[in-house]
Amino acid sequence: MIEFKNVSKTYSNGTHALQNVNLTVADGEFVFIVGSSGAGKSTFLKLIMCEETPNEGDIIVNGTHITSLKKREIPYLRRMMGIVFQDFRLIDNMTVYENVAFAMHVIGATQSEIKKRVPYILSLLNLQDKQKCRPNELSGGEQQRVGLARALVNNPKLIIADEPTGNIDPALSFEIVDLLSEINRRGTTILMVTHEHSLVKHFHKRVVEIHDGRIVADTASMEVEPDAQD
Amino acid sequence: MRKIKTVRTPKKRSGSRLSSLGYLLKEGVKNIWSNRTMSFASVGVLVSCLLLTGAAVLFSMNVDVAMKSLEGNNSTTVYLQEGLPTLTSLRVGQEIKQLDNIEECEFVSKQDAVQNMLDMLGDDGTVLEGLLGDENFLPDAFRISMKDLNLYDETAAQIEAINGVDEIIDYSDIAEQLTSLDNLVTSVGFWIVLILSLVSLFIISNTIRVTMFSRRLEISIMKSVGATNWFVRVPFIVEGVIIGLLSGGVASGLLVLVYNKLVSSIASIPLFSPVDIGPITWRITLIFMLAGALFGALGGLITLGKYLKKEGGDLGGL
Repeated sequence: MIEFKNVSKTYSNGTHALQNVNLTVADGEFVFIVGSSGAGKSTFLKLIMCEETPNEGDIIVNGTHITSLKKREIPYLRRMMGIVFQDFRLIDNMTVYENVAFAMHVIGATQSEIKKRVPYILSLLNLQDKQKCRPNELSGGEQQRVGLARALVNNPKLIIADEPTGNIDPALSFEIVDLLSEINRRGTTILMVTHEHSLVKHFHKRVVEIHDGRIVADTASMEVEPDAQD
Repeated sequence: MRKIKTVRTPKKRSGSRLSSLGYLLKEGVKNIWSNRTMSFASVGVLVSCLLLTGAAVLFSMNVDVAMKSLEGNNSTTVYLQEGLPTLTSLRVGQEIKQLDNIEECEFVSKQDAVQNMLDMLGDDGTVLEGLLGDENFLPDAFRISMKDLNLYDETAAQIEAINGVDEIIDYSDIAEQLTSLDNLVTSVGFWIVLILSLVSLFIISNTIRVTMFSRRLEISIMKSVGATNWFVRVPFIVEGVIIGLLSGGVASGLLVLVYNKLVSSIASIPLFSPVDIGPITWRITLIFMLAGALFGALGGLITLGKYLKKEGGDLGGL
């Protein structure tokens, strides 16, 4: 699904965000990306989402060499991705239903497709009773479930979750990752950036650690016992 | 969690399909309403710009008409000295008629002159009625037309040399003055319109920038889920175009109203019948609205070009 070949990224201010990164993520994998602040995790995600271009190396996403992608082709690549943000990024003056439908509107879905798809996705995430609520009437966990619904509604092949549990209660964090795991079981590749070690320990997934712009550890399916303390 | 079914979802779409058009138009109208103060300012400046352009064009059109009527007239008035005996006046007429370049020569007595003025002024001419008697200070005159206007100066000099002739009033002088006034209005108008156009573009693009800033979250989400740049653009261009259409409508309405009011108040000016814009009102409205829409769209595009290069978190510090 994702392949990084000798990828380096240096910003115009001289910051070496990523240096010679090599990584392959197969279709249907669930990968945690961990690392301290400023390690290069955000740049890693931005490169996949085509928000930035590398200075060196090649990136292949779903069979497409995105480093040579034309600007007008980028939106179509993004349609196979669903993005979940740490700060939810829900539109306050829209209801839950409208927030999710918005993602379909903007890629040109018809009203009948939207009317069929949005209630289905909301019911998957147990939000069917909240569809008329505004984001500020929801708890953090519920807001992130709406964010997840919006990421899922266009049936993406890849979900990129940028610290999706950063702004919610630890207890609810497990619920969100549980949902992501379930989505992953159905075949969607998940890339999740997190700071929370308890989550990484609890869910037996591949962990890639980035430090100072380099991949310092890459563990395929860690077999760690769930820690009751975390 | 229930099982996730695969439901047919939109694949590769153009992002600007007809089905989305209604949605995009609605968004454009919403933009204007949510940002109404700036929208109002944009309409105001664009209306001023269009009004001034229209006023300059109408002025030019009227000057053209006035000049054509003067040229078509080809008549020159020769005023005689005051208190000239009738016989002397007739002799002057004979001498003028004998000149080679004279086509017609018609005597206009001071009484005829006052009567002509009264006819032209209609009801407004009552103040002149006193002149019909002994108070008439207008001189006797001959209205002449020449065969060859190229010999005008030469013939005029010959007439002026005739004893008893006071002065020659030549409409070409008025035409010359009108032309220079028209040139002045055109060049001053051009600069004013140019400056106002730039101001309008600046205000419209700023209005749209404000809307974009207030909707930066939506734009970042749109881009992250794969909306094409055109899909992001359309509501903002719609906003600019609606501002432009509105301005065009208001400006043409105001121009027609003010012009007609002005024309009815100066209708009594002799030798001049202003251009009647009644039959071209719709054309003016259409041109104004098209020009407004073009300005609006351009204002939108200027802003969007810069903004769309930004991505996700760069969109206004999200």
